[in-house]
Amino acid sequence: MANMRRFGVFAAVAASSALLLAACSSSGDDKNNNSATNGGNGSQDDAVTITWWHNATADPGLAFWQTVADEFEALHPNVTVKVEAIQNEDLQRTRIPVALQSGEAPDLFQQWGGGEMVAQVADGYLKDLTGLVDDDVARLGGSVAPWQVDGKTYGLPYQFGPEGIWYRPSLFEQAGITGTPATLSDLSADVQKLKDAGIEPIAVGAADGWPAAHWWYNFALQSCPTDVMQSANSSLDFSDACWTTAGEKLQEFINTQPFNTGFAATSAQQGATSSAGLVANGNAAMELMGQWNMSVMTGLVDDVDGLLADLSWFPFPSIDGAKGDPTAMLGGGDGFSCSAGAPDACVDLLKYITSDDVLSRFAAEVGGIPSAPAAQSAVADPTLKTIADFMGKSNYLQLWLDTSYGPTVGGAMNDAIIQLFAGNAAPADIPAAMTAAAAQQ
Amino acid sequence: MSAESTSVVVPAAKKRKVSTIGAPAYIAAILAALFCVVPVLYVFYSGFRSSGQLAATPLGLPKPFVWENYTSILGDGAFWKMMFASTFIALLTTVGVVLLGVMAAYPLARYAFRGREGMYTFFTAGLLFPITVAALPLYLVLLKLHLPGTPWGLVLPQIAFQLPVTIVILRPFVKAIPREMEEAAAIDGAGRVQFFFRILLRLTTPALVTVGVLAFVGSWNAYLLPLLLVQGSDWTTLPLGVARFQTDKSQNTALILAFLSLAMLPAIAFFTLLEKRIVSGLTGAVKG
Amino acid sequence: MTVNREASGGETGLAGGAQAPSAGPDATRAEAVKSHKSRHWGEITLFTGPALVIFATFVILPVILAGYVSFFHWDGGGDLGKFVGLENYRDVLHDSVFLKSMRNNAFIVVMSLVIQGPLALGVALLMNRKLRFRAAFRTMIFVPYVVSEVIAGAMWRLILDQRGILNSALLQLGIFDKPADAIGWLSDTKIVMWTLMFVLTWKYVGLAIILFLAGLQGVPDEVLEAAAIDGASWWQVQRRITIPLLGPTIRVWMFLSIIGSIQLFDMARLLTNNGAPFDTTYTMAMFVIDRAVRMRQYGYATAAAVVLFVISLVAALLFMRFVMRRDNETEGGAV
Repeated sequence: MANMRRFGVFAAVAASSALLLAACSSSGDDKNNNSATNGGNGSQDDAVTITWWHNATADPGLAFWQTVADEFEALHPNVTVKVEAIQNEDLQRTRIPVALQSGEAPDLFQQWGGGEMVAQVADGYLKDLTGLVDDDVARLGGSVAPWQVDGKTYGLPYQFGPEGIWYRPSLFEQAGITGTPATLSDLSADVQKLKDAGIEPIAVGAADGWPAAHWWYNFALQSCPTDVMQSANSSLDFSDACWTTAGEKLQEFINTQPFNTGFAATSAQQGATSSAGLVANGNAAMELMGQWNMSVMTGLVDDVDGLLADLSWFPFPSIDGAKGDPTAMLGGGDGFSCSAGAPDACVDLLKYITSDDVLSRFAAEVGGIPSAPAAQSAVADPTLKTIADFMGKSNYLQLWLDTSYGPTVGGAMNDAIIQLFAGNAAPADIPAAMTAAAAQQ
Repeated sequence: MSAESTSVVVPAAKKRKVSTIGAPAYIAAILAALFCVVPVLYVFYSGFRSSGQLAATPLGLPKPFVWENYTSILGDGAFWKMMFASTFIALLTTVGVVLLGVMAAYPLARYAFRGREGMYTFFTAGLLFPITVAALPLYLVLLKLHLPGTPWGLVLPQIAFQLPVTIVILRPFVKAIPREMEEAAAIDGAGRVQFFFRILLRLTTPALVTVGVLAFVGSWNAYLLPLLLVQGSDWTTLPLGVARFQTDKSQNTALILAFLSLAMLPAIAFFTLLEKRIVSGLTGAVKG
Repeated sequence: MTVNREASGGETGLAGGAQAPSAGPDATRAEAVKSHKSRHWGEITLFTGPALVIFATFVILPVILAGYVSFFHWDGGGDLGKFVGLENYRDVLHDSVFLKSMRNNAFIVVMSLVIQGPLALGVALLMNRKLRFRAAFRTMIFVPYVVSEVIAGAMWRLILDQRGILNSALLQLGIFDKPADAIGWLSDTKIVMWTLMFVLTWKYVGLAIILFLAGLQGVPDEVLEAAAIDGASWWQVQRRITIPLLGPTIRVWMFLSIIGSIQLFDMARLLTNNGAPFDTTYTMAMFVIDRAVRMRQYGYATAAAVVLFVISLVAALLFMRFVMRRDNETEGGAV
């Protein structure tokens, strides 16, 4: 009809101008063009500006990083540091990818390592720090591994820690539980005791996806031999039967209904009705979460001291008869990378941030477990100390699976796990979805 | 349309109608208004309570009145900066949308030319693609034009995305302007362009106000584009502030509610001020 | 008594005016215009030019660029990656999650029309008289539309959460014994779609009412009064005269509502935290954004976006052709 023909004319005009624009803006030339700073590797005497993006939008983190920036400026008078704090999800999902893609990347920015970093390296967005930070790598030890690709270093972590189960001892007492569960069957028994006492056993922020997924990660970690886990990080090969066994065991556990009512719509950290909020306010007894959970929970209650006096932690229980290493732990952390076109001063700033001195103060003032072993003694809180101890005793530290495998496989994995929770998927569907997503890359 | 049945019997008929059917009208209006407004009022007055009060008695009234939530936000310079940015950008967008929209709607409504329906379809096609996916390529286009970080980087795309709705709504309004007006103007020697600027704009004012309000509200509430373009810069807008506030202060529900209330106020105020204009304009258009 | 709407060859509209008889004046007009053809085109360019340029640059161009990406497996960084032709499209159309979200959108389209249409129409008809405080009523009804999606979503989540304000209030009133008994407005898979419809109605019914009220301004009082004098009841008048005259406005609203429902994103996402529980409230737009932003499958996501676009386009074209046809016809004559 005539209408469609007219539309066709307009579409053709628009299309040809689009192709013209696409031809002119080929991404290859523009990336790494760092117009945000006086880029390049000028001598230390030239005035240099470094842009720094991090995810601590609230105090104490916000104030702390600003202090660090100010101190660095004082030590290097020719350098100005422009700090920008951006909300975590916005930073990871929108700001950084857009900035890298458009060639207007900040100099120093938040880096979580793993598969996403691998992609950034492949696209040439990151500065190769190998040779510039060797002493730091040696000092920081094993936690640097997720920030390395093929033996080359592309970032340094400032905090790193394992996850485990946070719990309220007073609620355990109320339910008549002594000690903490060491195996999965112990945990199930405790769950039952809590239910009998009218207490919601485990809070999980399934609305956000990943908190529920972490349950499966830990089941997988306990079900799969270490070498299988380790090789999967790079091979993305999920053909071993243990990946399905993990789901089967999880499904059994889910069927005992250990989670809070309406967990499918519970968020992880937002407000008093989030999973962290539920535990913080005594409305649920346990939560599986990373080492940052303490600072999240203290932000959700009025009586912080009361909470801290009644908060403890135990590692994820082992599974009888499973093939995984019972001391293996799942963990992750935060770090920073320099973009490819950043000035040398960026590397100096990174080294400063990850120095033992700064990280000790980080542990004391911000909370969380610093990546530098020497700084871990500055961790004051007893619960955090416990966590750091267990980390030291573990034989194998695996990075969060979704971080390690990258956003495509990780996203597919998390979605499949959620469907398992919903009762809409079978245990074997999870490795199947992961394999399919891996093929898409 | 018959001309006989107008004047004489009207007054009597009107009186009868108002007295017998008045009650349901008021009931409907009151119910609708309450349904729409009560949740918002709840947010407003809850801002005057502390989070502790809220947790204890969710539905209660402020006891005691807590001023700190509102005063701490109003005293924060950053809040006013965002307010200014949002207002400036929204006003520019509105002016652009209304002007370009009515200009484009005029030929689409009154002229007959080949490709007219095609052009209309071209504009409405833009309604149909989710901006969220076009956002990344849009950002690249804006980058080429050196627009990120500037208010124009927000204003121009917002105008563009608001045009389809505007044209869809304006075209029937423009079409309904009686032919006699145009013919009378032509007889007086005025060309179409003059007719447009002198007469048409005034006649369609109520519709222009409507699309203007929609454009203002759309710009005021925009989230994704500002996130990409102005976050962290001097031009950061209120919705970004809301989202950030929510995550930073997620434990202090009352404070969040206070912030939400203040962020809502300007858009509501804008509409309220212009509401009278809409009413008088509409009655004016019908009468003459 | 009927009104001859079609008297002047289809000049309908939202604000009625005197209807010119056909024949004479139009024929003369036609001749006059032919001699001004070039000025005619000049004026058209002047009026539509700026809008066209801005629209093409900031909407059409990015859309086409985005569509181009759909033929690749692109992860959002570096070069475009592997060219895969139509493979993304094929996968999308077989993706069970996408198909489920399509069904969700269909539900929302239908229920939005069914719930909001009659409700708004009823309220608008009842309010269409010289009410006192009319302006105040109108302002209050429009408030939800003016509130941003971010704020509305945040607000209703606080209210409807499992342990949120509504359930806490019901708990206090004694309707439930303990928190675990409370209704999962947002977490019960059987209820959550209805909760979503409720919140959507709250947010958007005001727009419908205001549009209908504006349209009703164009229904001439004389017509209604004449009918009333002839003995028609209020309801008969509305049904036979007012509502049909309101037709174009209703159809514009339906169009906007359908398109809005197909593309629903912000409100639903903020309220349900991205489709929880378990994808029950997942919409096609959420699917697109997740695949692009969270899973970095930009090629796949834009293919889904194009499918979403095509669905909207087909719906729009069908609607315009068959339902709005009468409103778009040109007047008789070459003007």
